[in-house]
Amino acid sequence: MIYLDHHAATPLAPLARRAMADALGAALGNPASPHAAGRAARALVERARAAVGSSLGARAADIVLTGGGTEACELMIRGMPRPSRVVTTELEHPAVREACRGWERAGVEVRWLPAACGKPPSPAQLSEALTPGALVVVQWVNHETGTILPVAAYARACGRAGARLVVDAIQAYGRLPIDVADLGVSALCVASHKVGGPVAGALWVDREVPLEPRLRGGGQERGRRAGSQDPVVAAGFAAAAEALAGRLERMAEVADWRDRLEAELLAAGAVVNGAEAERVPSVVNASVPGWRSDILVAALDLEGVCASPGAACSSGVRAPSPVVRALYPAEEDAWRADSALRLSLGPEGLDALQVDAACAAMRRVLRRRFG
Amino acid sequence: MGAKGRVLVAMSGGVDSSVAAALLVEAGWQVVGVTLHLWDAEGEQKVGRCCAPEDRDDARRTCEHLGVPHYVIDERASFRRDVVEPFLDEYRAGRTPSPCVHCNRTVKLLRLAEIATDLGCSHVATGHYARLLQGDEGEAPVRLLRGRDLAKDQSYFLFGVPPAVLGRMLFPLGDLEKEASRAEARRLGLPNADKPDSQELCFVPDGDVRAFSRRERGPSAPGVVRDAHGEVLGRHEGVEGFTVGQRKGLGVGGGGAPRYVLRIVGSDVVVGSGDELYRHELEAVGVRWLRAPRGAFDGQVRIRYRHEPAPAHIEPRAEGFHVRFEAPQRAITPGQAAVVYVGDEVLGGGFIA
Repeated sequence: MIYLDHHAATPLAPLARRAMADALGAALGNPASPHAAGRAARALVERARAAVGSSLGARAADIVLTGGGTEACELMIRGMPRPSRVVTTELEHPAVREACRGWERAGVEVRWLPAACGKPPSPAQLSEALTPGALVVVQWVNHETGTILPVAAYARACGRAGARLVVDAIQAYGRLPIDVADLGVSALCVASHKVGGPVAGALWVDREVPLEPRLRGGGQERGRRAGSQDPVVAAGFAAAAEALAGRLERMAEVADWRDRLEAELLAAGAVVNGAEAERVPSVVNASVPGWRSDILVAALDLEGVCASPGAACSSGVRAPSPVVRALYPAEEDAWRADSALRLSLGPEGLDALQVDAACAAMRRVLRRRFG
Repeated sequence: MGAKGRVLVAMSGGVDSSVAAALLVEAGWQVVGVTLHLWDAEGEQKVGRCCAPEDRDDARRTCEHLGVPHYVIDERASFRRDVVEPFLDEYRAGRTPSPCVHCNRTVKLLRLAEIATDLGCSHVATGHYARLLQGDEGEAPVRLLRGRDLAKDQSYFLFGVPPAVLGRMLFPLGDLEKEASRAEARRLGLPNADKPDSQELCFVPDGDVRAFSRRERGPSAPGVVRDAHGEVLGRHEGVEGFTVGQRKGLGVGGGGAPRYVLRIVGSDVVVGSGDELYRHELEAVGVRWLRAPRGAFDGQVRIRYRHEPAPAHIEPRAEGFHVRFEAPQRAITPGQAAVVYVGDEVLGGGFIA
């Protein structure tokens, strides 16, 4: 099996697996308990907090650990003080989109900035939509195409307008260097299962910003997120976060693999989605004329290649990629959203031989049809 | 790879297609399970009906049990275009459509055969109760026969499938009785072995064609219910949903002998006595022959799914064929498929004009 769906979930990195296996074998209680077993569990949770903080250039105390990425997004967006309006983009992950709709249901106006010509909204587009007290929600890296959004420039625009910026950095984590210290954002969230860890999320919040919890109960996470933390997952997250600098160093090699997959798709007549803007090296999103995503993904799976039609969809109902549709809104480009194939990769468990084999499998499949 | 190559099995989530898949796995095929997502059930109709998420889950569970891959492929657009829209057109034109015939021909088998090619599958299998024989070289490369279990036989729905597609088909249940197939499901430990059969029209699970038509197309032209002499007996709010032979729901109650729909003319629903429903002849259009006849011949013709093929003389004509039955048949209904058999073999069929 050749796994090319790292933007959905990376394979567990060996370091993370070892840390989790050790934790499974230890006598651990509830991290909130005051006895030895509780303290041992608490130590693993705090180690994760410290590792994530350090990987983001942040203090451990400003990190909130969550169950996953969606929960981190929800807390980041709905946990903010009530804004004058919400400004976001048409490219966002459903977790962000729906959290913004939550504000809409609460009576706050939401502005959706359009993308076009394969590029994200410009900082000037953003500036026009800003009002003092606005909450701006953007992703740093698009989950489907790898498009990098100009977060630093957005932050300057928000600073000038007196707006607050929060960033979904889930697909940027481990693919781009992140340092929250001078970024000028109020909050930023990441996820463990995009960087070789188990499924888990984390939110960094500027300590000056009051964060309203979305889950109430026990006072875990300093009252910001109630619920018992899983020390085994925390151990894996910690190991993945501690290895993050090393992961970033391997992205040059990943870029080379991505380029080979992209060349193979281009040779089959595909168009690359998002090629007009800067992208992270971990993904290629392409549309092959005549092939619909769900069928191409099935055909590749039968050849041992795990690919994706776009964002992982658990409802089992196919929909054309909303991101590709937003990047290419013209009617004659509608097919691209229907045919979008996402191959995403990373250093975990992948090597050049497997990339060669994936290229050969794509050739075998795409040869079955000519246009 | 299995010794016999790769086969796409169309899986509805029901028992029949599950047994078909299991038998092919046992026989050494490399099975690929595919569930077509054809329709989104609405509101309260979601449970236990074709294309409901539960059925996709059942198909997935069966494939997991068998250790074979399973994919859901979205064909909602082609199902609407090739099956649902023509269905609505037919009813509004006063005919009684055969959506399963259209579906089997277009979305199910033609489209599945294309998908099979895309997935590298040489063959396509379904849980239909029908049989195939490798025919003579040349004019009829493959011959379509009734299923061994005549009570379950589904060959009626398959006459329109192009021979090139039939040539790639496998019907593993063709030689089984329905009960034997259920017994196989239990023997194979299939998770849905005791799931009841679905009978209803998958996209109108409550059977209320009239309400469905109005949801989809809005109100239709009202008209009258009259007898053959023109005497108006009642009014109706649209011809869709009326079918030849129908007795209930005509809104012409009262005493006297029961009245049945004899035919639909424009917006008039013409009713009469039960005796008047019997006719000797029909004309079929939109004809497809699996084996083209050289001239007129004697055979059997089936005028609806639940109808035992009746002896008849069949005369091919330029645009279709003409049928004269030995004995008059009840409720020959425009829009339904008329399928021509000689013995167990399906020669072809068309739609009653």
